[in-house]
Amino acid sequence: MSQNLAKLAQRIDFGQGSDSDEEDPHEQSRVSDWSKPDLEGEDGLAKFQPCSWPWDSVRNHLRSSLTEMCVLHDMLSVIKEKKYMALDPVSQDSIAVKTPQVFQLISKKKSLATAAQLLLRGAEKLNKSVVESQEQWRQRDFNAELLHLRSQWKLRKVGDKILGDLSYRSAGSLFTHHGTFEVIKNTDVDLDKKIPDNYCPLNVQIPSDLEGSAYIKVSIQKQSADIGGLGTVSLFRKSPKAKPGSQAWHLKLEAAQNVLMCKEIFAQLSREAVQIKSHIPHIVIKNQIISQPFPGLQLSISLCHSTMDKTNQRASPEKTKPDDHLYVLEHNLHQLIRETLSSSVMPHPASAPFVPKRLRVAGPMAYDKTARTIDSLASRIEDPQIQAHWSNINDVYESSVKVLITSQGYEQICKSIQLQLNIGVEQIRVVHRDGRVITLSHQEQELQDFLLSQMSQHQVHAVQQLAKVMGWHVLSFSNHVGLGAIESIGNASAITVASPNGAYAISVRNGPESGFKVLVQFPRCQAKELPKSDVLQDGKWNYLRGPYKEVHWSKLEGRNFIYKMELLMAALTTCP
Amino acid sequence: MEAPPVTVMPVTGGTINMMEYLLQGSVLDQSLDSLLHRLRGLCDNIEPESFADHELVYLLKGQQGNPFILRARRSLAHPTAPWHLRYLGQPEVGDKSRHALVRNCVDVAASHSLPDFLNEMGFRMDHEFVAKGHIFRKGVLKVVVSKLSRVLVPGNTDNTEPLSLSYLVELSVLAPAGQDTVSEDMRNFAEQLKPLVHLEKIDPKRLM
Repeated sequence: MSQNLAKLAQRIDFGQGSDSDEEDPHEQSRVSDWSKPDLEGEDGLAKFQPCSWPWDSVRNHLRSSLTEMCVLHDMLSVIKEKKYMALDPVSQDSIAVKTPQVFQLISKKKSLATAAQLLLRGAEKLNKSVVESQEQWRQRDFNAELLHLRSQWKLRKVGDKILGDLSYRSAGSLFTHHGTFEVIKNTDVDLDKKIPDNYCPLNVQIPSDLEGSAYIKVSIQKQSADIGGLGTVSLFRKSPKAKPGSQAWHLKLEAAQNVLMCKEIFAQLSREAVQIKSHIPHIVIKNQIISQPFPGLQLSISLCHSTMDKTNQRASPEKTKPDDHLYVLEHNLHQLIRETLSSSVMPHPASAPFVPKRLRVAGPMAYDKTARTIDSLASRIEDPQIQAHWSNINDVYESSVKVLITSQGYEQICKSIQLQLNIGVEQIRVVHRDGRVITLSHQEQELQDFLLSQMSQHQVHAVQQLAKVMGWHVLSFSNHVGLGAIESIGNASAITVASPNGAYAISVRNGPESGFKVLVQFPRCQAKELPKSDVLQDGKWNYLRGPYKEVHWSKLEGRNFIYKMELLMAALTTCP
Repeated sequence: MEAPPVTVMPVTGGTINMMEYLLQGSVLDQSLDSLLHRLRGLCDNIEPESFADHELVYLLKGQQGNPFILRARRSLAHPTAPWHLRYLGQPEVGDKSRHALVRNCVDVAASHSLPDFLNEMGFRMDHEFVAKGHIFRKGVLKVVVSKLSRVLVPGNTDNTEPLSLSYLVELSVLAPAGQDTVSEDMRNFAEQLKPLVHLEKIDPKRLM
C-alpha cells in the first residue's frame, strides 16, 4: 500500500505543463512516462527507494514548481514594464498544445484523488481498530465488574436484561416488595474525553422507592411535652465511606437493601401492633406506630425515609450526635427480623415438607408438652384422678383434649370438673363445662398450676355432691375463700355441710398448696370440756353445735379423700 | 348437663392430596464436594444445613393385598423436633412424557410417642436406617444429598455402617395433583447438575 502511495505521490509533479508559456524540454519524456507505466514503475521504484518519506518527491516537485512560479512571476513583472521585454505572438498549433495540458491536469487530479482515498481508507481502518480496542477494554471491564457483582449479589438473566435481587426472600422473608434491581452498562462516557477516575462501566438501577436512606426512629413522649427521644436507631451504615476496593454500585445496593430492611422491619412491627390486643389500641398511621404502654406515656416508632438529595443535609447532624445511635435497639431490630426470617427454616427431619416453623410448633410440640404435663400430674397425684381424652383427628393448627377430674369409685356423682383444652398455635384455650374460657400460654407450669387448682376445687365439689347423696345439708360453699393463708397458686375453696338432723357439721377447706383441712362441729352436749352454762338451762340448747375439732385425716381409713368423707358422714349420721 | 363433646375438627390443611415429584440419582463419595459446591451456587443462599435422621419403616399386614407402609422419621440432630410420619403412594403410571416420578404423599408431623402409637395400632417395624447429609432448597425445590447407613443394633443409631460408597441425591417437590409444570422446573434444575450427577426418574418397583 505504502509503495503504491509513494508511486502515486511521485506522479504528482507540478512542473508538468503548469504553464503553457514554459516549454519544458523534459516534457516530452514525461508524457511518454505516463504512457508507459510499466517502465515508469520500475523507474519510480528505483527513484523512491532511497527516500524514506513518500511525500519527498512531492515536496521536491512542489519546490521546483515554486521556483518556476517565482521565475514566471518575476518575468511577468518585467514584461509588464515593457521596458526590457515585450511579448510577441508566435504562430503555433493551439490544439496540439492544449490537448496534453487537459490530459495532464485530469491525470494529476485523478492520482491526487486516489492517493487521498487511500489515505482516508487507511485512517478509517486505524480509527476503527482504536475504537474496537477501546470497546473491548470496556467490555472486558464490564464483565469483570459483573463477575464481581455476581459474587456478592444474586443475579439472573431475564430476556436481554440482567436483574438482581435485593430482597431477603431467599433467607425466608415473605415481604411482598420484589426488591429487584437492574444491571446496566454504563455507556454515557465520551470516548474522546479523558475517562474520569471514578468511572465504572457497570451501573445499577434500583427501584425508585428504595432510593435514598432509611432508618427507624423510636421516641418516647410524656403527655404532649417531648421529654426527648429515647433514641434513634439508624440502620443505615452512616456516611457510607467507601471501603478500598468497594464500588459505587456496591454502596448503592447496600443502601437500597438497608431501606428494604427498614421497610420490612416496620411492616412486621405494624402487623404486630395491629394484631396485639391492648386496652389502648395501637395506632398505625402511614409510617408511624403510636402506642401507649403506660398512661400519659407515648411510644412512637417511625420509619424515616429520605431520598438521595437530602442525604447530605441529614448526614451532618448525625455525625455531630453520635449518641443518637442506639446499638441495643439496632441489635433488637436485627434479632426481630432474623426471628421472622427463620420462621421458615430447613425442615428436620429432612423428609418433612417446607412449612413455617409455627405450624410445627403448634401441632405436635404443643401437643406433646400438654400431654406430658397432664401425664406427669396424673401419675404424681392419685387423688383426685385425671383422665385425658385426646381427639385423634386434629386440625393442622389445633389439637384438643378433654380433661376429666374424678375420684375413684365416685365417677358417677363427681363430674363437676370437665375441661376442654384446645391447644392452638400460641395458646391453650380452656373451656369449662359451664362455658367459662381461660386462656393459657404454652408454659408447662401455667397449665400445671391451673390443673392443680382445679383438682383442689374438685375435692370440695365432690363433698358437695356427696352431701346431696347422703342427705346432708350444704350450709356454705365457696370456690374462692377470702380467709386464711394465701395460696401461691389459685385460691382455697371451702364447704360446710350439716348432718341431716343438724347435730353435726363438717367443714372442709382445701387449698391447691396447703392441702385440705377437715373440721367437725359437735353438739354442745358432746363437748365435755365445755363448762355447764348457768344461762342455758333448757335441754334443747344442748343440741346447738358447739366447738370444732380437727379430724386426723390420715388416721381415717379409706382409699381416697371422698371415700373417707363418706365414712365420716356415715359415722356422724344418727340412725333413725 | 353433659360436657361438650370433644371437637372433631375436619382436616382442612393444605397437606392433603399432595403429590411428590421426585428425581433421584447418586454420586460417589469423592465427588460429593464438587456437587455440594455446585448446589451451594444454584440454590437459595440460606446457610447450607446438614442433617442426621433416623427412619423407621412400619408395615401393617392385612389379610389380603399389599402391606400398608408408613415411614416414621425423626431428627437425630434436633431431638426435640417433632417426628415426621409419611405415607407414600404407588408411583403414578401416567404418561411417559412427564419428567419426574409422581406419587401420592401424606405428611404428618407427629409427637414423640409415634412409635408406640403405631405399635398399638398393629404396625410392625420392618426396617430402619440412618440418613446423614445436606439439605438445600431453591424455591419449592428440595434437594437432599444423603448417605444411608444400616443400623447394626436395632434402635441404636450410634452404631451404624454405611450402605454404599455413594451418596443418594434426591430432588423433590410437593405440589397439588396435576401441576406438571413443576416437573419441567425439576428437569431444568437437574440439567444444571449434569454431569456431576444424573438425576433420573427411577421407579422403585423396578428395583425390587
